Amino acid sequence: MNAIEFILAGMLAAATPMLLAALGELVVERTGVLNLGLEGMMALGAALGFITTYTYGSHLLGFGAAALGGAVLSLVFALVVLGFVANQVAAGLAIGILGTGLSSLFGKSFESLTITGLPKLALPLLSDVPVIGPTLFVQDIVVWLTLLFAVGLWAVLNHTKLGLMIRAVGENPHAARAIGFRVLTIRCLAIAFGGAMAGIAGAYASTVYTPLWADGMIAGRGWIALALVVFGTWQTGRIAFGAVLFGALSLGELVTQAGGVNIPSQILACVPYVVTILMLAVISSNRRRMRQNTVASLGQPFQP
Amino acid sequence: MTSRLNRRSFLKSSLAASTALALPIPAFAQDGVLNVALIVPSPAADVGWSHTLELGTKALEEKYGDKVKVTLLENIAEGPDADRIMNKTVAEGTNFLILGSFGYMNGGLKLAEQNPGLSILHASGYMVAPNFSPFGARYYQGTYLMGMAAASLSKTKKLGCVGAFAIPELITSINAWTLGAQSVDPSIEVSVVWVNSWFDPASEQEAAKALLAQGCDVIFSNAQDTPSVVAACEEAGAYVFNLNSSMKAYAPAKYLGVVGTDWAPYFIQSVEAHLAGSFAGASAWLSMADKCVFVADWNADIPADIVAKITEMEAAIESGAFSPFTGPITKQDGSEGVAAGVTLGDDMILSMDWHVKGVATPLPQ
Repeated sequence: MNAIEFILAGMLAAATPMLLAALGELVVERTGVLNLGLEGMMALGAALGFITTYTYGSHLLGFGAAALGGAVLSLVFALVVLGFVANQVAAGLAIGILGTGLSSLFGKSFESLTITGLPKLALPLLSDVPVIGPTLFVQDIVVWLTLLFAVGLWAVLNHTKLGLMIRAVGENPHAARAIGFRVLTIRCLAIAFGGAMAGIAGAYASTVYTPLWADGMIAGRGWIALALVVFGTWQTGRIAFGAVLFGALSLGELVTQAGGVNIPSQILACVPYVVTILMLAVISSNRRRMRQNTVASLGQPFQP
Repeated sequence: MTSRLNRRSFLKSSLAASTALALPIPAFAQDGVLNVALIVPSPAADVGWSHTLELGTKALEEKYGDKVKVTLLENIAEGPDADRIMNKTVAEGTNFLILGSFGYMNGGLKLAEQNPGLSILHASGYMVAPNFSPFGARYYQGTYLMGMAAASLSKTKKLGCVGAFAIPELITSINAWTLGAQSVDPSIEVSVVWVNSWFDPASEQEAAKALLAQGCDVIFSNAQDTPSVVAACEEAGAYVFNLNSSMKAYAPAKYLGVVGTDWAPYFIQSVEAHLAGSFAGASAWLSMADKCVFVADWNADIPADIVAKITEMEAAIESGAFSPFTGPITKQDGSEGVAAGVTLGDDMILSMDWHVKGVATPLPQ
C-alpha cells in the first residue's frame, strides 16, 4: 500500500467524527444559536457509546445511548440560553467542560478497554475500480450513512419548508415570530439535534474509528468541527469538503513522516490546520456571498 | 468487602464513625503512620504509566501494612490545579509525596522547600533538592533487547516507531532499539512517526497504520499509555511492543513483549530512608540492575538462538558489562556519534538529540 492509497483508504473515516459533529452544529447555528460545547458533548457521547457497546455488544445501542446523552446535555444548554437567556458563549463553554468531566466520571472503570469496530463494506461496482476502488470505496457503514446524511441535510436546509423555517429563525427571529414560528421551540429542537449528532460523533470515535475508551480521547476534534462550520460559511457542502480535506491532510502528515521526508514533524503537524483554513477562506472569499451565508442573529439572545 | 447491614453492625459502625468524627483531621489521626500520596496525570487504568506507579505504592502498602497509608490522586492536570492539590494533601498530613509527571516539578520543589520534613520523589525531572529526588527508568536497556527480537522477526527489514514527542528519553529508546536490531541484522531500517501529543489514541492508531502501509512489520509503541497502537497492530498482523506495563491481553498473537518498569524496589528503599530520617535528594536513573527495568512476555515466535542471545545480552546489561551506547556508533548524518571502545556517559545519554544511522526519519529540530 503506498502513501496515496493509505490516505484514500483512511480519509473518510478520519473525517467522519468531525463531520457528524459539524453537521449537527450547522443546524444549531443556522437557527442563530452558538453552542461551543461540542468537545464536551462528543466526549460524553464517546464515553456512553463505548460503555453501552462494551456492555451490550451492540454498536447500534451504543450510538443510541450516545445520541441520547448528547441530546440531554445539550438540553441543559438550551435551558440556560433559551430559558434564562444566558450568554451563549459562556454557557457553551461551561457545558463543554461539564461534558468532558462527566465522560471521565462515567468512563472511569472502562479506562483502556477495547472492543471490535464495525466491518468495512465495499460499495458494489465502485469498489472494483482500480486504486480508488479497494481503498476509497471500502468503508464502514457509518461513513456511508454520514455522507448520505450530509446530502440529505443539504436538501432539507435548502429545499424544504423545514429548512426555510430553520434559516428564518436564524436570520431574524423577531420576523420569524411575527409570521407565527415558535422561535424558542425551533431553537430548542435544533440544539437537541446538535447534541445528539455530537454524541453520535463521539461514539463513532470511541467504538468504530478507534475502538477503545481512554479519557480525553476526543483530543480537540470538537473544536475542529466548530471551526469547520465557521470556515465552511454555514454551507453543508463546504463543511463536508473541509472535513474530508482535514482528514486527508492529517493522514498525509503521518504518512509523510513514516516515509522519511526531511520536514520537521511539528511543521507537518500544522499543515492540516493551515491548509484547511486557507482552502475554506479562499472559497469563501466572495464578500457578497459571504454576507448572504452568515447567520445574522448568531449568538444573540432572543426574548419574545 | 460487602456485608449486609443489620441493626447491630449499623450501631457499631455509627459509633465508630462518631468517634472518628471527634478526632481533629483524619490524616493526623493515627500516630506512627506514614501518609504517602501519589499524584498522576492520567487515570490509573489497568495498563500504562500511572498504573505502574500505582503498583509501586501498592508494594509499599504490602510491605508496611498499617504503617503506611497511600492516597492516590489521579487525573490531575499539570499546573496550578496540581499545585493546589499537592499543597492540600501536604497540609492534611502527607509526609511522603510521589509526583508522577514532569510538569509537577516547580510546584513540588516549592513545597519541598517550605516543608523540610516532607520527602518528594519526582518522575522524569532533573532538579534535586535535599528532600526532592527525581527518578526515571533506563528504558533503552530494554528496547535494545526488543530490537534484537524485532530484527529476528522482521521480513521487510523495516521497523516502525510511533513516538509521542521528540525528547531525549524517547530518542534514546529508539536509538537503542535500532542498535539492538542492527546487532542481529545490520540492514535494518527504522522509521519514526512523531504524533506530537502525549495523548491522542486516534492519531496514534493512524500513525501505526501509516507505518504499516510503508512496509514496517514490527512496531514500537513509544510512550503511549493506551493500547491504541498495540490493538491496531494486532488487527493488522504486525508484531508490536510497548513500555511500562504489559499489553499482551490486547495483542495475544502478535505481542512482541514489554519493556516493563517496577517501581516497588525504589519506592520501598526511599520510604525506608525517609523513616530512618536519612532521605537525601539525589537523581535516580534506575536500571535493570536496580530491578526497575525488565523485559517480559516474549513472543513465542522469536527463534531459539535469538532468545539465547537476548538472555545473554540481558545478563551483560544487568551486570554492567555492556551498555547499548558503546562505540563505534555512527550518527544518522554519517558523522561519528561515539568513538570505538567509548561508552557514553549518563549526561550524554540524558541529553541525546541525535539519531543513530539506520533511523530513516530525520529528527525534528
